[in-house]
Amino acid sequence: MNINATFFAELIAFCIFVFITYRYIWPSMASVLEERRKEIDEGLQAASESKRQLEEAKEESSRVIDAAKSEASTLINQAGSRADQLIDEAKEQATEEAKKIKETAESDIAQSTNKAKETLKEELSVLVVAGASKILNKEIDESANKEIVDQLIKEL
Amino acid sequence: MAKEASNNLVETSDYIGHHLVNLTFGWCEKTSSWGFAHHQQDLSKSLDSACDVSEMGFWAFHMDTIFMSVFLGVLVFGFFGLINRSAKKGTPGKLQNFVEFVHEFIGSAVSSGYHGTSKIVAPLAFASCLWILSWNLMDLLPVEMANFFGQAGSGINYFKILPTADLNAPLALAAVVMVLVTYFSINTHGLGGFLKELFIVPLGPLEFISFVSKHVALALRLYGNLFAGEMIFILIAIMFGQFFMSFSQTLWFLPGLIMNLAWALFHILIVALQAYIFMMLTIAYLNLASTKH
Repeated sequence: MNINATFFAELIAFCIFVFITYRYIWPSMASVLEERRKEIDEGLQAASESKRQLEEAKEESSRVIDAAKSEASTLINQAGSRADQLIDEAKEQATEEAKKIKETAESDIAQSTNKAKETLKEELSVLVVAGASKILNKEIDESANKEIVDQLIKEL
Repeated sequence: MAKEASNNLVETSDYIGHHLVNLTFGWCEKTSSWGFAHHQQDLSKSLDSACDVSEMGFWAFHMDTIFMSVFLGVLVFGFFGLINRSAKKGTPGKLQNFVEFVHEFIGSAVSSGYHGTSKIVAPLAFASCLWILSWNLMDLLPVEMANFFGQAGSGINYFKILPTADLNAPLALAAVVMVLVTYFSINTHGLGGFLKELFIVPLGPLEFISFVSKHVALALRLYGNLFAGEMIFILIAIMFGQFFMSFSQTLWFLPGLIMNLAWALFHILIVALQAYIFMMLTIAYLNLASTKH
């Protein structure tokens, strides 16, 4: 137990070390820890936030997929009915066209028959006149007989 | 036979005495000069004083205590400072983890024990606990190591590596605590209130005695535990030494080995516990001083 001036040296050294700890070591440790705590807190919050967002996105995507599916099925149905409709229309159109063509053809036939008849009538009148003149051996005055011939032709 | 035994006795007491003397640098009255105590070092003749340690008065410095404590302080606080300086905000490294563990440990001890607002308590607890711990750990180094280096040619023949076993060091820490406790008390109760508490209420001057003695006890508790531990290491080392002194004592070697190991293991507990107790009592005293009652 020899107390001597070493006491003062130790006293000063201790005060210096306490001051260094107070001024530099302790606050810097505390601030690093505080920052880390904040960072971890933020990280955890971000994680839960992104989890929530993922959940939402999943829901959203399934919703979109469902909507797309139902839309697709309606589209398919619509397309089917439209196709049926188109076929029906085409059929109708075709029948109409066919009818029209038939009608035209019929009227054409009738027209040409009439024309042929006319021609035949005219030719026949000439032939009749020629035949009659041959039979009579005499020139028939065409102008004189014209009335009769025309009458004949009309009666044909 | 009797002569050999008495020789052994002299050598043993010399050995113990040698281990209990600090490397002292002080004022020698006889020559009116500063110097190391006689024959303690062979470094410089001019620094050798004519006085022995016992002849030096109050103005003497235990150079080994001062050197070891400051060296350990620089080591410990430098370590913490450096780790802090390189501390990253992201994932901490292993050393940083350790530093932060110590910070949390002492921080929680302070926040659970001290309910005031002063910002000095936590750094004080931190500095005292770690500094004392670093001192006390020196006790686990082999007791012969310092002398071994001395004899191996460093020129220093006396060197105690355990600052705690020099009463000056624990007493200085306790003095700082006492000053702070006084300051806190005056802050809380006012100078009048503090003096009244010391000398009048409730048991008169007994309170003053208790006030002084609790701080002296704070130092003595630490000093006593570590000094006694050191002493037991020295005694066990003597047991080893018997092996070299006389062949008939060879049998002491094995028990010595076992006892040294056992005491070292047990002493690890004391080393840490005494540092912890000093810190906790400091916190408790400061808390008591800053509470109104």
